[in-house]
Amino acid sequence: MEYRQALEIQRSVHAFRRAGKVPDVVLTVEHDPVFTRGRTARPIEYRVPLDAVRRAGIPVVDVERGGDVTYHGPGQLVAYPIVDLRQQGRDVKRYVETIEGAVIDALAAFGIEASRRPALPGVWVREGKIASIGVYVKDWVTRHGLALNVGVDPAHFGMIHPCGLPVRAVSMNELLERPVPLEDVEVRLVASLARGLGWRVEPRGLEELEEHAGE
Amino acid sequence: MNRAFTQVVLPDLGEVDGAVVVGWLRRVGDAVQEGDDLVEVETEKTTFVVPAPASGRLAEIAAGEGKRVQVGDRLGNITGG
Repeated sequence: MEYRQALEIQRSVHAFRRAGKVPDVVLTVEHDPVFTRGRTARPIEYRVPLDAVRRAGIPVVDVERGGDVTYHGPGQLVAYPIVDLRQQGRDVKRYVETIEGAVIDALAAFGIEASRRPALPGVWVREGKIASIGVYVKDWVTRHGLALNVGVDPAHFGMIHPCGLPVRAVSMNELLERPVPLEDVEVRLVASLARGLGWRVEPRGLEELEEHAGE
Repeated sequence: MNRAFTQVVLPDLGEVDGAVVVGWLRRVGDAVQEGDDLVEVETEKTTFVVPAPASGRLAEIAAGEGKRVQVGDRLGNITGG
């Protein structure tokens, strides 16, 4: 899905959640190629000139989440938990650790050992960074979230320093030396998020959600 | 009755080691309504929007862009109503 379209959906679900019209929601999506810059992005985070990025036909979008520049594209599972943190102890750090923990649990189900690194939010494997985190909180309700590399084009990620760091972006496929269906990872990740956040999950289509909010 | 000043402080965000002011969404002198988005701070890769704690005018920015602040620190003042 095109990034800006997904962003609009995310913002409207966030507004529904703040108004108490829907329960906590996690939106999952696979984006068309895009670079997004968080609130603290700096120009040095590109390995190639910004002009070259634009010439490659990949849009660059400034967004309100925390963090620096990142890439989204095919083969990457993006999850946007829309969570009322007033029901999760009003703790931003604990929330970030919960979503990191959900990614670590989901990866473990595929035999991948991943971990946190002190002072470097995100999820890491020995070879580099496998998932990025960037969150926005307004009225204690979250949006944005996490991006997990299942099988991402390394040439695209090669254009940036992910999250402003001189590190390599790593995909699950590369570590497992076989393609993993994105849907399989999605099921595991949503289950792990639900466990971490104390949810009982009901799958809903976007239309159902909008109808529910309109009632 | 209006208090002369209402302090804008960094709310308790949990077990975080402070936050950095990303930017003010209003300028000194601007009228603000209680609950308006006033200033964004970042911690743990999270942008947190601090709302205006009162209606009035943004009288002072005590912690500008890039400033590191701790929970409870004063970010600015709102005056009048």
